[in-house]
Amino acid sequence: MPALFPRSSNTLIRAVLGVGVIAAVGVPALLMVWVRTPPVTGQHDAPRQPVEFSHQLHVKGFRIDCRYCHSTVERTASAGMPSSQTCIPCHNQVWRTGPLFAPVRRSLASGQPIPWVRVNRLPDFVFFNHAIHVSKGVGCETCHGRVDQMARVQQAAPLTMGWCLDCHRNPEPRLRPVSQMTTMGYRPPSLQAQLDEQLARTYHVQRLVTCTACHR
Amino acid sequence: MTDDWPGFEEFPAEAELPPDGMSRRRFVQLLGASLALAGLGACMERPRERILPYVTSPPDVEPGTAEWYATSMTLGGYGIGLLVKSREGRPIKIEGNPDHPASLGAAGIYQQASLLQLYDPQRSKRLRQDRKPSDWQSFVSQFAPASLRGRVGQRGEGLHFLLEPTASPLLASLLGRLRDLYPNVSVHLYAPLAYSGQRTAAVTAFGAALMPLYDVRQADVILAVDSDFLGSGPFHLRYARDFAERRRPSSPDGSMSRLYAIEPVPSVTGTSADHRLRARAGDLEGILGAIAAQVILGPSGGPEGLPDAMAAVLDRYRRDERNPGWVPEIARDLAAAGHRSAVVVGESLPPRVHLLGHLVNLALGNIGTTIRYVKRPLIEPETGHDGLATLVEAMQAGAVHTLVMLDANPAYTAPAGLDFRRALGRVGETVSLGLFEDETGRLSQWHLPLAHYLESWDDCRAYDGTAGLVQPLIAPLYGGKTVAQVLGAFLGEGDWSSHDLVRAQWSGHWGKADAPERWNEAVQRGIVSDTAFSPLTPLPRWNDIAAALGPRLNQGAGGMELVFQADPCVYDGRFANNAWLQELPDPMTKLAWDNAALVSPATARRLRVETGDELRLRQGGQQLTIAALVHPGMADEVLGLRLGYGRGSGDESLAEGVGVNAYPLRMSETSYSSPGVTIDATGAHHQLARTQTHWGLEGRPIALHTTLAHYREQPNFAREERGSPLSLYRGPPLGSGDQWAMTIDLSACTGCSACVVACQAENNIPVVGKEGVLRSREMHWLRIDRYFTGDAEDPQVISQPMLCQHCEKAPCEYVCPVEATVHSPDGLNEMVYNRCVGTRFCSNNCPYKVRRFNWFDYNAELAETERMAKNPEVTIRARGVMEKCTFCVQRIRQAQIAAGLEGRELHDGEVRTACQQACPSQAIVFGSLTHPNAEVVRRRAEPRSYTVLHELGTEPRVRYLARLTNPNPALQRERDGG
Repeated sequence: MPALFPRSSNTLIRAVLGVGVIAAVGVPALLMVWVRTPPVTGQHDAPRQPVEFSHQLHVKGFRIDCRYCHSTVERTASAGMPSSQTCIPCHNQVWRTGPLFAPVRRSLASGQPIPWVRVNRLPDFVFFNHAIHVSKGVGCETCHGRVDQMARVQQAAPLTMGWCLDCHRNPEPRLRPVSQMTTMGYRPPSLQAQLDEQLARTYHVQRLVTCTACHR
Repeated sequence: MTDDWPGFEEFPAEAELPPDGMSRRRFVQLLGASLALAGLGACMERPRERILPYVTSPPDVEPGTAEWYATSMTLGGYGIGLLVKSREGRPIKIEGNPDHPASLGAAGIYQQASLLQLYDPQRSKRLRQDRKPSDWQSFVSQFAPASLRGRVGQRGEGLHFLLEPTASPLLASLLGRLRDLYPNVSVHLYAPLAYSGQRTAAVTAFGAALMPLYDVRQADVILAVDSDFLGSGPFHLRYARDFAERRRPSSPDGSMSRLYAIEPVPSVTGTSADHRLRARAGDLEGILGAIAAQVILGPSGGPEGLPDAMAAVLDRYRRDERNPGWVPEIARDLAAAGHRSAVVVGESLPPRVHLLGHLVNLALGNIGTTIRYVKRPLIEPETGHDGLATLVEAMQAGAVHTLVMLDANPAYTAPAGLDFRRALGRVGETVSLGLFEDETGRLSQWHLPLAHYLESWDDCRAYDGTAGLVQPLIAPLYGGKTVAQVLGAFLGEGDWSSHDLVRAQWSGHWGKADAPERWNEAVQRGIVSDTAFSPLTPLPRWNDIAAALGPRLNQGAGGMELVFQADPCVYDGRFANNAWLQELPDPMTKLAWDNAALVSPATARRLRVETGDELRLRQGGQQLTIAALVHPGMADEVLGLRLGYGRGSGDESLAEGVGVNAYPLRMSETSYSSPGVTIDATGAHHQLARTQTHWGLEGRPIALHTTLAHYREQPNFAREERGSPLSLYRGPPLGSGDQWAMTIDLSACTGCSACVVACQAENNIPVVGKEGVLRSREMHWLRIDRYFTGDAEDPQVISQPMLCQHCEKAPCEYVCPVEATVHSPDGLNEMVYNRCVGTRFCSNNCPYKVRRFNWFDYNAELAETERMAKNPEVTIRARGVMEKCTFCVQRIRQAQIAAGLEGRELHDGEVRTACQQACPSQAIVFGSLTHPNAEVVRRRAEPRSYTVLHELGTEPRVRYLARLTNPNPALQRERDGG
């Protein structure tokens, strides 16, 4: 009786099995890589905002400190979003009538808040606290990047748990003196390694990797 | 110490049943569909989230930061001071105000659960006249004197108000002004649980409406005559705190007070007593009379100068031979304690029992040591105008033109004999103000939404007279008005805001000069300083007392006796729509989402009924059908009924059809007990949902208990239940920082369940409903196990709060295949919801059975307002994940961050768990073992500390302190002998 299948089908079945094995390992692996890529994490994402506010202009141009608008960053979990009223002390003097400022004027007149689009979004089961991070020597730039170079603000970091843990496992290299908190483009002095240890000691920095440090 | 007790059902009802309403095929279909849809869902773009900052930042509000405000809640006429936590303008957690004398920092179940009532989506939302929506302005113009006088007469002949008894100075002054305006107005003060026996007795005995306040710290021997002073009532948080101080000797040399409780239905107080003695409510007078006779007359026949009439009355009580054998022993013990004793008589008892209580306290010289008499803070009713009965009489006579019912629900609570509903038809116009459009609201022509106390300005008085302010945390959600505002509308002095009314009241009280400062101080503290009533010296009128007690002996009637009590969870029915309270198990029967007729095992045998059998009760032409619940500790031939269930025909749909309404069986508007009910079994069966159905200790050292005498002999009786047993498992590594631990003192715990509600509010714990409870799927992270020991008819009761024990060698941790439950370096057993895949291995391996599984997405169908009650610091758990007590890790981390910002270490007492915070008797202590002087370290070192299921080697971080009782040796012998 002649063979039911040609000899070449042996090769074919091996190939199919081979591809299957590769796919079984490769597809999940690719998916795991894929969820960590910028399109999924939103890194470098710079959504269009209701007000064309330029951090570049205000931070680099006018050297306004981050805390002028994000005023609760040293005290509370949230860094604080400026109220519409916050713009007024300066904008009473300059750029009062420009079209770019119109949404703020409208908000003040109508009492309706400005619907900013969130750029740095953490999931609801993450309880992040700004105050404790900045008081331990983590600068704004460390997570938010060079905001002074962003005409439209974008998400600088991937904000994945792995990225958080990189620092939580080894915080020392990312620390800076609290006085340099809002400095953009901070250059550590040459004896960084020594300073790291000193800062970590001064600020009682812990390596918090227990789950309930962030998830409650 | 531990003894076997016959258990009932070991397994929950319906445990073997598959989920209803779905076939296997349908289940697989849905499973496939949900997999496919979940896959598609993952392809969608991330949602864009908006940030809406303030236009102008309000002062003091920092988004993400909690604010605390002082306020008060009034219940049963008296206020309890509270501190309420607010996030972004919405109240989310209610705790006690440490400055308030009735709270001292603790909060009861009603106070805490009232938060859910604020956000109840079924609250009344609109003001209406007949069927048409109306508005406040029309109401004000309709009922201002100019318009109303034409309808009710110049002097207010046809104008009647019905409201709860109240101690509010503002309402008192408004009612006074109302009477100035309408001299013939009738004000009826009525609440179904406002008993008048105490007041009547005080007026007879002292010629004034005095009221005893107890200092149970000073008392060595306390006799509670059907008084649940530790578990309910307007001052119970304070009493529980004071009582516990004398109940936990820190060493075997310490002393304890002794509590006797005589009652028909087991209560929190009774089960906390050293001797709980069962008696029918009708026999209490005879029993207390015999005790009084023995204390006063003594062996010598009484002190000199004892009026003859009094001696004769007492002698009759003494010669009553029906009294139980333990009576002389209690009298001896009271007499031996002398002026360091106290007799507490239940508010619901008739005046004669209160008179006897006064007699014993006076005779023992307790006034000034354990008891002080103060003026009763409630507004005094006017003769002829009080109560519901007089109102119904006037209504039937057609004398009522305008009836204004302020925060009262007589259509539900009135006894059927009064037939309030029919009488309402003869009233010209009816106005009701209520939080819900309830039974009464539905029948009224005008209905106004009431402002919740968290939405209003108001004032109140605590049980000791201390005035407190009610401060709003949120603007009225549905435009509600306060009782004071509605009374203000009748005064026709313009449209007052509730703030202006209270402010004017107190400014007038203080005088112009220092009013603003005092106002600010009162608002900030929640109480008005130095307003507690000063003690008065009672001047007993012996002859009047003797006359009121004589001439004949009031004998308890025979036959079955009905006893009506407020439900320990839904009160008089006003909290029936509150899911937290419906799901809270009754501290005694562990029954949730229902009420039942409680009977003793002996009576049940006589009636040939078992738990769940339906009984038909008939009395005075009324009848109702209710399931029996056989409850050890009930007095024989007594049927205990809990009021507050069987709501219906109102907007409160959660409460509708839950339980049976027992109000119609009451003979009068505030009757407490009545003899002569006829009972027969219908043969039908009703399923009761109980959270605990097996309550024997089976001889195992779970809830350790012993007597003070035994503790003194063998201080180390609990030693074998401590320390590290031999083990190969080394447990996870611990860090060098704080090590969290808890102790729970079973001697102090009364089982009141305040901690259960506190935990539910703090940790966003869902409710599962009756179906869920029947399948043992309740979600409480902290439950109170109630064990019976000793006599099966009349057992001793031990309440044991049970929560995650945070084992150092946790059995749950090493069976989790996905590391969803792990150990933290500071000794917490952590639960990581996002890792959990729902295998439930951990729950299976937990010897304490404290892990809870989300069988459904219990939060999916919450109304928008109900979501506002959630604590934003705690994750809302999804379906399919396991959860359990976290030791309030959110509070620990917040305190650590706060300390970190200040650059300091945490100090002891800075982190308080929700259960610890709420506990009125301070049975729960939490802290770090690394603080050498911490209270938790001190308590752990006490000889009576032990860990539950110690032999398993789990090394729990929760330690219990064994329950100590201080029984009277003479009665103990009698009990052992019998």
